[in-house]
Amino acid sequence: MNRRRSIIPGFGISMGITITILSIVVLIPLCSLVVFSAKLSFSEFVYTVTRPRVLSGYFVSISTAFIASIVNVIMGLILAWILVRYDFKGKRFIDGIIELPFALPTAVAGISLTHLTTTNGWVGQIFYNLFGIQIAYTRIGITVALIFIGIPFVVRSVQPVLEKIDIQYEEAAFILGADAKTTFRKVIFPEILPAIISGFTLAFARSIGEYGSVVFIAGNTPYETEIAPLLIMSELQEYDYSAATSIALVMLGISVVILSVNAIVQARVSKRVNGLA
Amino acid sequence: MGLRKENKVLKIILISISFIFLGIFLILPLIYIIVTALRDGISGYVNAVSDEYAIKAAILTIQATVWAVIINTIFGISAAWLITKYAFKGKKILSTFIDLPVTVSPIIAGLIYVLTFGRQSSIYPFLDSHGIQIIFAVPGIVLATIFVTFPFISRELIPVLTAQGTDEEEAAAIMGAGTFTIFKKVTFPHIKWALLYGIVLCTARAMGEFGAVSVLSGHLRGKTNTLPLYIELLYQGYDFTGAFAASSILVVLAIVVLILRLVIEKRGQKDLDLNK
Amino acid sequence: MGYVELHDINKHFKKFHASKDINISIEKGKLVALLGPSGSGKTTILRMIAGLEQPDSGEILIDGKVVNNTPGSERGIGFVFQNYALFRYMTVYDNIAFGLRVKKIPEEEIRDRVRELLELINCEGLEKRFPSQLSGGQRQRVAFARALAPNPQILLLDEPFAAIDAKVRLELRTWLREMITKLNITSIFVTHDQDEAIEVADEIIVTNLGKVEQSGTPQELYKNPATPFVAQFIGHSVEVRNYEKFKHFNKQGENSIAYLRPEFVSIFKKGESVQFANSAEEAIVEDTIFRGSNIEIRVRIHGNLISAIRSINEPEIRVGELVDVFIYRLYVVDGENVVLATNDSITDEDVVI
Repeated sequence: MNRRRSIIPGFGISMGITITILSIVVLIPLCSLVVFSAKLSFSEFVYTVTRPRVLSGYFVSISTAFIASIVNVIMGLILAWILVRYDFKGKRFIDGIIELPFALPTAVAGISLTHLTTTNGWVGQIFYNLFGIQIAYTRIGITVALIFIGIPFVVRSVQPVLEKIDIQYEEAAFILGADAKTTFRKVIFPEILPAIISGFTLAFARSIGEYGSVVFIAGNTPYETEIAPLLIMSELQEYDYSAATSIALVMLGISVVILSVNAIVQARVSKRVNGLA
Repeated sequence: MGLRKENKVLKIILISISFIFLGIFLILPLIYIIVTALRDGISGYVNAVSDEYAIKAAILTIQATVWAVIINTIFGISAAWLITKYAFKGKKILSTFIDLPVTVSPIIAGLIYVLTFGRQSSIYPFLDSHGIQIIFAVPGIVLATIFVTFPFISRELIPVLTAQGTDEEEAAAIMGAGTFTIFKKVTFPHIKWALLYGIVLCTARAMGEFGAVSVLSGHLRGKTNTLPLYIELLYQGYDFTGAFAASSILVVLAIVVLILRLVIEKRGQKDLDLNK
Repeated sequence: MGYVELHDINKHFKKFHASKDINISIEKGKLVALLGPSGSGKTTILRMIAGLEQPDSGEILIDGKVVNNTPGSERGIGFVFQNYALFRYMTVYDNIAFGLRVKKIPEEEIRDRVRELLELINCEGLEKRFPSQLSGGQRQRVAFARALAPNPQILLLDEPFAAIDAKVRLELRTWLREMITKLNITSIFVTHDQDEAIEVADEIIVTNLGKVEQSGTPQELYKNPATPFVAQFIGHSVEVRNYEKFKHFNKQGENSIAYLRPEFVSIFKKGESVQFANSAEEAIVEDTIFRGSNIEIRVRIHGNLISAIRSINEPEIRVGELVDVFIYRLYVVDGENVVLATNDSITDEDVVI
């Protein structure tokens, strides 16, 4: 070989291992999805994904995921703030427990949340008796499960950024006469906004596709509490691979859109902060 | 604090909100699982967790987890090394593909393996004639587990290796050291804590995967049921004590993972401070 | 024939042309500086000699042999990285021994060699420390020892003093110069600091925008800048556009510009004896800056703010004072040509640089 890439040896072997495993685990299966999709007839695809039951599934998934992610943005911001800015007893405990949704199997979380929120569950009966609100087996229940799995995303993306903001900025704003509210709005918030958006995006994307924690609490009533991933699952159980793939393609499309919007926003911001991207 | 006067009231309100929120959403479910698991007393609990099928499910879960950790460790190290030590075309696309699996719904992950290895796939006749069954069998479960945890280790290693740069490797290479020596002596000490951290995360997620495994499992009791699937089965059979008893095993493991995470993070930070 | 030679080297990083037709020849045993502003391609040249980068075209020769396809590790090179790249998880001893262990040299020989080097760099007793436990100067010396351990024929140093604070830097410059002279090893170092290059190097190669502008001894560069870039880069030059207005200087070309260095200018108090009294300009002092060992005086002449150095032993000059300014010479840049223009009122015998 005439031109060596780098003086550091091992390019060939690391490239070989990486591509081999990536191909088996990700690329080949994705290709088979593409190949199988190409075989679908367009009219059949449109018919499948526009059935009212499927449309309602998308709506349930997106709306509950959206509300849950908004809740997580607010709570994530508060949690990140108290973890970075305050000292209090139990801080390390909170810091550790925030990752629980990553560590606890989703199905386990699902059955536990369901039992807690049924009309005679520990939490559910309070809401049912006092306000007449049912949680389990409604969209509220789905939202609750999605809040659970989305908790770590916003906290973990905002926390490091907040840690890096130099106290001097705030002191500068303070000396210039800004009060705490203005300082937060004008100095801190713009700094952490990109992190909030990317945390929201990750939580939202994850929530739309979530299955394990939701199936138990959702009740799975068609048109009411049936989520899109469950529709794919049902089609698969009936071995209707064409329908399953059609529904999945639309969901993948939604994910791609969400992630691209985030990528564009992040690129814009980094351009503004660093000059050239 | 001099200049910055903290707003005491705000502080108390924010901390209280946080404790209440996490208490309800995270702590209460854990307490509920433990209480329900022990509802029929210790002997009921012991019976539930020592059930033959529960043990078989646990063994399969461990098996899938071990495979996922091994494959993803090998992959994670070589991918992270490749991405951070060399300049080459297509690096961005490669990173995108590596991160892709976590953004895909687990159900869709299951689906693409069904399409690849299932009855309607073009390689099915070949697999069938050689007696290889992948979907609705253990290999499918293992593949699904690898898929959903795919970037977990590389994602932990890449930032560490990026921050470390390539100077030390170049210095070693210029003195004539080979790939293995450079990795073992120069690079590995930098990444050991991040690697361990990645393995812990990978283990946690692999043990608990439900959706993708659910698609690919034949739901055969004692054959292709992992612990989370076994829990679902008990739950749907209204054996709540059994379901929560089996869950409690996973809860304990999750707590162990969280504690390990904190310990590893602290150790890694100490090493980092030492080498500033 | 030089010991290290680069012939028509070109190198691109994507679209950026980092090295343009580089031709360099370095004699055996010389201590050479690659000097240029940041982004001028000096580090790229060093890294290509080391085999850390590959040129797109051209040849690199070491000791008469083309080494383009020889791995860096077989070129007989020691490399000191800008931030030293000491192995952070190895002790000083293991760092220095690394290159020897790779060569499978018996452990006893390694021990002797490491001891010898530790003595050379005055770091005995530090062998069990980790790099993080060393001072900046110690790290640099350990990096130096590590590069020297396998007995390289050529030593390459990338900005060897950049990461050290000012006071230690001066000590290390002298130390490094002595060390390299003692070992008589062909050495090339990269720097953006002209004082450093002038003080340490036998020979300087000035780079700018990917090209070699000029190479020569520090004195040659100082006296005879070959290109406009070198004329303005070397020394603390002030650009003067209307130099023909100065007494006894004539315009050389339509668009020519002059560069004036402080050492080309003398400032006298009124009444001090001036050799060329009639040729001096009168000016008002705008600023005086105490530099410790001397005083910099700034005056404005024909719209140009010009600096001169005055000894602290001479009578003090104050801001606002009317003074006599005598300009001995300046560099006139006309297109690509650089000419040293001397004040017409002095004869050649008076020229002393």
